[in-house]
Amino acid sequence: MEKYPAIKIKDGQKFFYRFSLNQRIQHFILAFTVVFLVLTGMPLKFSDASWAPYLYSLFGGIKYAPIVHKVNGAILMGLFFYHIFYLIYVIRKFHIDPLKKKGELKRYDALKTVLTQKMVPNLKDAYDIRDLMKYLLYLTNIRPDGDEMTWKEKFDYWAPFWGMVIIGFSGLILWYKELFTQILPGGVLNFLLIAHSDEALLAALFLFIWHWYNVHFSISVFPMGTVFLTGYLSEELMVEEHYQHYVEVMKKAGLEHEILPPHGAHRHEPHEGGASS
Amino acid sequence: MNLTRAKKTGIIISLSFLVLISISLQTTSFAADIGNCLLCHKYPGLSRVDEEGRMRLFFINESIFNNGVHAKVKCEGCHTDITEIPHKPAKKVDCLVECHIMEPSTETKFSHKDVATFIKTSVHGSVDNLGNKKNFSEDYPSCKDCHDEPLYRPLSFFKKVRPGISEASLGRCRVCHKKEDFIYQFYNHVTTRLHKSRNPLNISEMCGRCHDDPSLVARHGLSTKAVFSYGETFHGKAARFLDERVPDCLDCHVSKGESVHQMLSHKDPLSSIHENNKGKVCATIDCHPSASPKLATYGVHSEFNLTQSPVQYFFTFFFIVLTGGTLLPLMGIIFLDLLRRFFPHATIGRRK
Repeated sequence: MEKYPAIKIKDGQKFFYRFSLNQRIQHFILAFTVVFLVLTGMPLKFSDASWAPYLYSLFGGIKYAPIVHKVNGAILMGLFFYHIFYLIYVIRKFHIDPLKKKGELKRYDALKTVLTQKMVPNLKDAYDIRDLMKYLLYLTNIRPDGDEMTWKEKFDYWAPFWGMVIIGFSGLILWYKELFTQILPGGVLNFLLIAHSDEALLAALFLFIWHWYNVHFSISVFPMGTVFLTGYLSEELMVEEHYQHYVEVMKKAGLEHEILPPHGAHRHEPHEGGASS
Repeated sequence: MNLTRAKKTGIIISLSFLVLISISLQTTSFAADIGNCLLCHKYPGLSRVDEEGRMRLFFINESIFNNGVHAKVKCEGCHTDITEIPHKPAKKVDCLVECHIMEPSTETKFSHKDVATFIKTSVHGSVDNLGNKKNFSEDYPSCKDCHDEPLYRPLSFFKKVRPGISEASLGRCRVCHKKEDFIYQFYNHVTTRLHKSRNPLNISEMCGRCHDDPSLVARHGLSTKAVFSYGETFHGKAARFLDERVPDCLDCHVSKGESVHQMLSHKDPLSSIHENNKGKVCATIDCHPSASPKLATYGVHSEFNLTQSPVQYFFTFFFIVLTGGTLLPLMGIIFLDLLRRFFPHATIGRRK
C-alpha cells in the first residue's frame, strides 16, 4: 500500500488517502453505466410522460435504446462480479494472509475479519446517526466524529450493492426470459419487472438526491468533491467528516502538533479564524 | 445579358419554387368519381351543423381518398340512397352493401357480408348462440367503431424493407402490366396487406375506446382495463414508442390464420388465449420461438389492484414503502443540514 502515502502535501495543503486507482476506476464505470441505465430505463418506466419520447430518441428510440440499456447492464453486472472477487482478494491478501503468516488465524478470526471491515456497518454508525440528528436539531453544538468510513458512505455503498443484486438479476432474467421460463413460471416475470423498475427508481432517486447532495450540492463540496478523481481528500473535509480517523492518521504520521480542532463549524468562529488555513 | 450574382440566385430560387409548386399540384386522378360528386365535395369548407348540433365536414380530400383502399369504389357504391344532385342528407353508410367492384378470384360482386357472419359468432357479436340479444347489446361494436377510411400503407422490399413504394419494383411490374392505375393499385393493395395497416399503438388505442372505459368494463364484468394494463407491459410501452415489432391486442387474441373478426372469449376452447391454447401464443416463429408454454403464464393484464392481483399489489406496495421510507428520512436530513448551516454553532442544549 506504499503506492499511496496516507498524507500527501501539495502547495502546503495536506491531502488524505481515500481511494486507490482501482477503486476510482470501479466507481467511474459504476457511475457512467448507472447514468446510461437510468437515461434508457426511465423513459420506458414513464413511457406516457411527455418527455419520454424525446429522451428515448436521444438513445436511438425503441430500436436502439434497449440495446444501449442491455450493454450498460452487462458492463455493470461484470463490474459487480469483478468487485466481489476484488473484495475477496483484498480481504485475503491484506487481512487474512498476514494473520495466517503470524500463525494467529484462529477458528472465527476469518469471519471476525470480514465483519470488522471498514465498510461493514457497526454500532458507532448508529450512535453517529443519533448524534447527527441531535446536532441537526440544534440540541447540541457538537457534530459526531466520523471514522474512516462514515454511515453516509456505508449507506452509499450498501444501497447500490443491494440494488445491483435486485436490479441486476431481475434484469438478467427478464433479458433471457425464454431461457428462465423453461423452469420458472411466466408469472414470476411480473414480479421481476416490478422489482427491476421500482428498485431502479429508488436507486436513481437515492443517487441523484442523497449521493449527489453529499458529493456535489452540499455547501462543503459544491460544485464537486474531487476525491473520486484524485483519491485524496482535503484536510478541511477530512476534519468535517472523518475527524476520528483524521486524528489517528495524523498521530501515525507524527504530526500531532498540527492536528486541527474538530468540527468544521468551530474553525469559522471569529477568534479562531486565523488558526486554520 | 449582364446579370448580377444576386439576380441569378433570385431567378434560380424562383424557378425552383415554380417547379416545386407544379410538382406538388400534380394529383393522380383516378378516383371513381363518375357521379361528379367532387364538383361540390372538393371544397374544404363544405360543412353544416346537423340536427344533433354537431359540426359535420363533408369535404373529400381527393389525394388522400385516392390513397385509400376504397379509391376505386364509386361514391354511390356506398352512399346508395343518393340518386340525384343536389341531394338530401345522406343515410349512414352500411358497410355490408354490395358494391360494383368484382372480387377477382370468384368474379362475384364484392361485399363485406362475410365479416358480419364472423363477428356474429365472435366475442364481439351482439347476439348469443341462440340468437338472443346479449346484455347491453348496444355496447357491442359495429364496423365503424373500429374502422375508419383505411389508407394504403405500402412497403418496399427492393433492397431492404422500408415503408413506401419502390420505384424499382414498379419498373418490374411495368414489364408485363400496362395500366399505371392497375399497377399502382395492385402494388399498394398487396404490400399494404403484407403487414398491418395500423401500428400496435393505433390498434390498442382503437380497442381502448371501449376496453378502457371504466363503466363498460364494469357493466360487462371484465377483469381489467385491457389497454391500460397492456400499456404497463414492455409490449405496450414499446408500442407507445411506435415499435411495430411488438404484439398488439389482435396478435394474441386472434388465432393465427383467422380473421380478426373471429376473436373469441378466453372461455371458448377454440380461443387462442383459452387456458389450453395460451401456451402457444408467445412461442410463435415471429415472437419468442424458443419459449416454453410457461412464458404465456405471464400476467399481461395484471393491474396494481387489490382485488385483481393481490400478491402483485402488496409486492408493489412494499417497494413504494421502501422508496418513501428510504428517501423521505434522507431528504429530511438534507433539509435539516441546509438549515443547520445557517447557524452552525447555535444550540438550545448545553454548550460543550
